[in-house]
Amino acid sequence: MIHADFKDMIPARALSALDAEEARALNDHLDGCAECRMELRDWEETAAAMAISTNPVEPSARVREQLLKEVRKDLETPPVIPFRSAQRNLWTSFGSLGAMAAVVLLTALIVGLIVMWRQYEAARDELARSREFMQLVATPGSRVTELSGVDLGAGATAKLVYDNAGHAMLMANKLPNVPEGKAYQLWFIVGNNPPMPGKTFVPNSEGKGMMKDEMPVAALRSAVFAITVEPASGVPAPTGPIYLRSSAVN
Amino acid sequence: MKAIAARDEAALAQLYDRYRVIVFGLLMRILNNREEAEDVLQEVFLQVWRKAGDFDESRGRPFTWLVTLGRSRGIDRLRTLASRERVAEAGAREVIEQISDAASDAFKSEQRGLVNSALAQLPDEQKRPLMLAYFDGLTQSEIAARLGAPLGTVKTRMRTGLMRLRELLAGKDESFGF
Repeated sequence: MIHADFKDMIPARALSALDAEEARALNDHLDGCAECRMELRDWEETAAAMAISTNPVEPSARVREQLLKEVRKDLETPPVIPFRSAQRNLWTSFGSLGAMAAVVLLTALIVGLIVMWRQYEAARDELARSREFMQLVATPGSRVTELSGVDLGAGATAKLVYDNAGHAMLMANKLPNVPEGKAYQLWFIVGNNPPMPGKTFVPNSEGKGMMKDEMPVAALRSAVFAITVEPASGVPAPTGPIYLRSSAVN
Repeated sequence: MKAIAARDEAALAQLYDRYRVIVFGLLMRILNNREEAEDVLQEVFLQVWRKAGDFDESRGRPFTWLVTLGRSRGIDRLRTLASRERVAEAGAREVIEQISDAASDAFKSEQRGLVNSALAQLPDEQKRPLMLAYFDGLTQSEIAARLGAPLGTVKTRMRTGLMRLRELLAGKDESFGF
């Protein structure tokens, strides 16, 4: 059929009088023909006028009441938004389970990557400090002192390296964890003088601790180094027990 | 229609009050049964309430949409009824008698007169196919069978009749006030 054939069918379409096959063909044509759609609109206006030819009849008041009652029911009920997944079957259920499993796996993967990344960062940091430690050891005139765990710190070990300028670095292993709000603090002990305070540090979960410090000039002649557990902010004079101490001056 | 789409109950009530007698008259003409017609009338306006958002002004006037919807639901109901003759017998006399004063006031008889006058000017051979299609929901093939006329002839008469009706009503749409 050509365009003109479809145009001829439009008045009957406005009256819904086309047979099924013709109606389907015209509907397909209307989808792609704006001109025919406009023409249909005009014919529908004419057809609608036929409704006015009927005698007007007053419906009973009950219809209005019932109508508004239904409307109020609708107003009390929030509009329902169709949800596609409501039509579930075995495959969509498997699909959902698969999606959930994928989410769990993805989450696990992300967590794993974060852990690995943190481990990598920690290892890289440790390696960098170790290199720094070795560089300080290699500095002419530097000295290395070993500290050993005593009493509560039994099993722990540490090495302190410092040069003539007082640049010092401590590396400790197998340190017991410290309570919340506490930290290890380094002390420089010269003769019978009161211990001179160094910096504080907190070991990691593996008991490893590293710290850089600047030793007081007077401490360069230290005979003994000690580590105690003190408040995290550090104290000017030791208050806690000694965990590690050096045995002798190198 | 926009207010109804925005769930304005008063707007729907206003639309109902304005067009109830026309739509109900149409449904009574199609169904010839008050109970059925009232049931469909409620369905039609409830559908307007729920589907007002679908109304597209570019595709026609609200009145046309409402009447087309009413006719369509009326024809659907007609087809589901087991025996049109039985229903017709039950309600045949009601139609004319139920025109109330209020309905007459609400509906301008002048408008009805214009359409009826236009229809009266159509030759019977053109008017009958139109009436059978519009109020009885018959297809062209069914009309041809009913009238004992060739299908091609029915098609031509129907098209010619509607074209003539359009010509007769041309320029009078404004007076309809829809």
